[in-house]
Amino acid sequence: MEKAKVLFSIFGLDVTGHVTTMWGIMLFMLLVFVVATRKLDKVPGRFQCLIEFTVEGLLNFFSGIMGREQARRYFPLLATLFLFILISNWSGLLPFAGHVDGFKPPTSTLSVTAGLAIIAFVATQIAGFREKGFGYLKSFFQPFFLMFPLNLIEELVRPLSLSLRLFGNIFGEEMVVVVLLGMAPYFAPIPMQLLGILFGFIQALVFTTLTAIYISSATADAH
Amino acid sequence: MNMTSAIIALAVALVMGIATIGPALGQGTASAKAMEGIARQPEVAGELRTTLIIALAFMEALTIYGLLIAFMLLAKM
Repeated sequence: MEKAKVLFSIFGLDVTGHVTTMWGIMLFMLLVFVVATRKLDKVPGRFQCLIEFTVEGLLNFFSGIMGREQARRYFPLLATLFLFILISNWSGLLPFAGHVDGFKPPTSTLSVTAGLAIIAFVATQIAGFREKGFGYLKSFFQPFFLMFPLNLIEELVRPLSLSLRLFGNIFGEEMVVVVLLGMAPYFAPIPMQLLGILFGFIQALVFTTLTAIYISSATADAH
Repeated sequence: MNMTSAIIALAVALVMGIATIGPALGQGTASAKAMEGIARQPEVAGELRTTLIIALAFMEALTIYGLLIAFMLLAKM
C-alpha cells in the first residue's frame, strides 16, 4: 500500500486528501443539521421529518441493544459515529473520489479507522469506570482469577478488529473498483459500486452496533 | 521474474484461497439457521434479519483480513 500524498502541512502535521475530505464531510453534516433544526415546527415539514425519522430510528435501534436510558446517554457518540462512517463510506461512490488529489474517502485509510476505533475503546473504558468505579477493574478478574490475561487480550483486540474490519472493507472495495476500471471503464465497476452502497451501510451499522454492545457490556452488572 | 516475485505471487494466491474457506462455511451455516428460524416464527423475521446481517459482517471481516495481507504482499512483489 503506497503512502498517501501529502497536500500541505499545518503546524508540522501533514494533511492528506483523506483529511480534507473529512473536513468536507464535517462541514456537510454541520450544515444539514443546522438547517434542519433552525425552525422546529410541531408539524414538521419534509426535511425535518426526514431528520426526525433518522434520529428516532437510530434511537430505537440502540434502545434495542442497550435499553432506553443508556441509549439516550450515549446517543450523541453512537449516532455521530454511525452517520459519519456512513457518509464517508458512501463518499467513495461519488465521481472523482479517489482520483482527484484532495478527495479520498476518509475511511479508506487505516489512520482514520484506527482513530475511530480508539474513540470507541476510550468511550468503553470511561463508561465502565463511570458506572462501576474500581469494580470495573475487578470485573476483569471475573469469573475466575486466572482469566485476567484472556480478558485483557480480548479487550485490547477489540479496537484492532474494529479498525481493520472497517478499513479492509472500504479500501478493498475501492481497490476492486480501480482494477475493474482498468478492465472496462464505465461499465465494469457498476456491480461493485452497487455492492459498495450495501456494504458501506452494513459496515457503519456493524461498527456502531459493536461499540454499543461493548459499552453496554462494560456497564452491565456482574453475571 | 525472479524467485522472490514467484514466491510472493504463490503466497498471495494461497492467502486469498485459504482465507475464504472458513468464513464461507460459517456464513452458510448462520444463514441456514436464520432461514429455519424465520420459517418457524415469521413474526420475528425483522430481528432475525438484523442479527444475521451483523453476524455475517463479523465473519466477512475474517476474509477481509486475508485480503489486506494479500494487498500488502502484492505491493512488495
